[in-house]
Amino acid sequence: MVTIQVFDPALCCSTGVCSANVDQNLITFAADADWVARQGGRVERFNLAQQPLAFAENVAVKEFLERSGQEALPLVLVDGKVALAGRYPRRAELARWAGISVPIAQAAPSGECCSGGRCC
Amino acid sequence: MLFLEHAPAFLFFTGKGGVGKTSLACATAVRLAEEGKRVLLVSTDPASNVGQVFGVTIGNSGKAIDEVPGLSALEIDPQAAAQAYRDRIVGPVRGVLPDAVVKGIEEQLSGACTTEIAAFDEFTALLTDRALLGGYDHIIFDTAPTGHTIRLLQLPGAWSGFLETGKGDASCLGPLAGLEKQRTQYHDAVQALSDPERTRLVLVARAQQSALGEAARTHSELAGIGLARQHLVVNGVLDENDIAGDPLAAAIFRRERSAVAAMPDELRDLPVDHVPLKAFNLVGVPALRALLSDQTLPSAVATVTRLPQAPDLASLVDDMAVESHGLIMLMGKGGVGKTTLAAAIAVELASRGHPVHLTTSDPAAHLSETLHGTIGNLEVSRIDPRAETERYRAHVLEVKGSKLDAQGRAMLEEDLRSPCTEEIAVFQAFSRIIRDAGKKFVVMDTAPTGHTLLLLDATGAYHREIARQMGTNGPHFTTPMMQLQNPARTKVLIVTLAETTPVLEAAGLQADLRRAGIEPWAWIVNNSLAFARPVSPLLKVRAANEVAQIDVVASVHARRWAVAPLQAEEPVGIERLRQLARHEQPIIEEGRHVRTM
Repeated sequence: MVTIQVFDPALCCSTGVCSANVDQNLITFAADADWVARQGGRVERFNLAQQPLAFAENVAVKEFLERSGQEALPLVLVDGKVALAGRYPRRAELARWAGISVPIAQAAPSGECCSGGRCC
Repeated sequence: MLFLEHAPAFLFFTGKGGVGKTSLACATAVRLAEEGKRVLLVSTDPASNVGQVFGVTIGNSGKAIDEVPGLSALEIDPQAAAQAYRDRIVGPVRGVLPDAVVKGIEEQLSGACTTEIAAFDEFTALLTDRALLGGYDHIIFDTAPTGHTIRLLQLPGAWSGFLETGKGDASCLGPLAGLEKQRTQYHDAVQALSDPERTRLVLVARAQQSALGEAARTHSELAGIGLARQHLVVNGVLDENDIAGDPLAAAIFRRERSAVAAMPDELRDLPVDHVPLKAFNLVGVPALRALLSDQTLPSAVATVTRLPQAPDLASLVDDMAVESHGLIMLMGKGGVGKTTLAAAIAVELASRGHPVHLTTSDPAAHLSETLHGTIGNLEVSRIDPRAETERYRAHVLEVKGSKLDAQGRAMLEEDLRSPCTEEIAVFQAFSRIIRDAGKKFVVMDTAPTGHTLLLLDATGAYHREIARQMGTNGPHFTTPMMQLQNPARTKVLIVTLAETTPVLEAAGLQADLRRAGIEPWAWIVNNSLAFARPVSPLLKVRAANEVAQIDVVASVHARRWAVAPLQAEEPVGIERLRQLARHEQPIIEEGRHVRTM
């Protein structure tokens, strides 16, 4: 089974302390990752602020940080190899790496930004 | 004293900085030891003067106090505990990951929440170590964990998927990452805390509306977790016999009495003790004995013969008014008087003809109601901090929480009960008005801590890099953070009281701000007895004690400062606010007429 590892930037408290605006991409990705897991795929996430050792001990990740800095995260590795950097993967991409087929209807990520007419 | 009767094994004292937790804890320890019990006194007081009180040096393992057989004491330094905690997480990657990354992680772990968790980590050892417990009948703590900390540790989501497998999703658990003990130990510690047979919680407050309100909130929070057996001690109450014909003392007595009479309902069912304000310093075992009994000691005879030369608030405003606009932010712990001082500053600026917008989080709305419409160029906006916080929480829960499972959602809800959340919600509510600071004076009576500001400014480090690279030739752009860091646009005033712990806490706030690249512009020492010219002997002694702290502020912490005297009546309305800003009568020093109204 393929292992997808996502190295997240130092996300601080879910209170959104990092930014006054909540990042919709994060929420969408959390849902997509969950979907992959339920389909039998394996997605592991590591947060720079909480598991810095995981970043330090992985050569590819460490070198990426040195070269491009933490602003370039998230970094996605598939079976240890760099697959994507600088944004979160879409559901279709996750499915492809994990070898899951995606029905067309579900392929579009839940991209509604505004719930209840309010901007996020 | 009710809170001393049938004392269980653990006694925790809780309350704002400066209410007297350490003195009461020390006095309690002495009393119980002299009843023949084996007592361990644990102090996490930043002022850490337990050693001074007993005249010995105390470290982080139990040290016997010779003067009181049966009593040992130890100190936990919360800052050191937090640093050790940070090092456990960051240590392994220092020098391995880029410095900017390491600094970012450290900042995440530099807030009050982390210090609380680190302190709780230390408490846990004391609450669950059987060998230790066997050696003492009572362990007395001069601070207590917050409800938020305890709840965080009780959440199942806090443990599963993170500490156990280390591969959980990226929800906020930063502060918990450095916990090393077994989950069961933390569980046992929380059990001990919520067992009324083993733990008594003593809420300490002064006879003031804000302190009692705070005590009520703490009571509800902790009762909600199961720490039900609580006592209330109203400390430092001015006794009628000490008024001695002093109108200021009479006014204080009246205010304190009505504050106690009007105490929040949640507190009314608690057993209450009143501890009178004493004329002697609480140093040395005899003083501690006298604190909790009717004994009196010879009063320290003190008169403030020479008041330190101190600027008043009006003179600070003179300096502020040099620019014709800007953001003035008042920062300080709860209850020091930021709202009142902000109003006084706004009135001063407006009275000099400047356009002013005062934004206040005044819970009682007295201030804003009485000011609005009184001076032509003074506009007042009031926000309700609780309503704003609720709105913010609801928004985040709706947007983020909808996709989380039950555990994740519980964690998110608890996160949102952290004190930072109110800071942010209020700041956001104010921030629409901050834009006006380009054209007028905007005065804010509260602001987030430096730590929170740093976290809010997620791209701060990035912007610093860009600014550095562009040098002075690049296009001019500013992030909100840069505006706050620019003293021409923003002046931060730190408010404190002339007492040891409040001054230390204010110094902590200043250090926090400096880490965010913000240099406080001035300090204000509020509610000064010394500058209120007391007449009663008791108040004169208390006033004399202030001088040392005022000196510390003036010579160590502040580049600019002012003192606002304690007012006999609540300064509501323009006239009273103007009085607050001036040292009324001439200050005579060495026969020279220094300054007059």
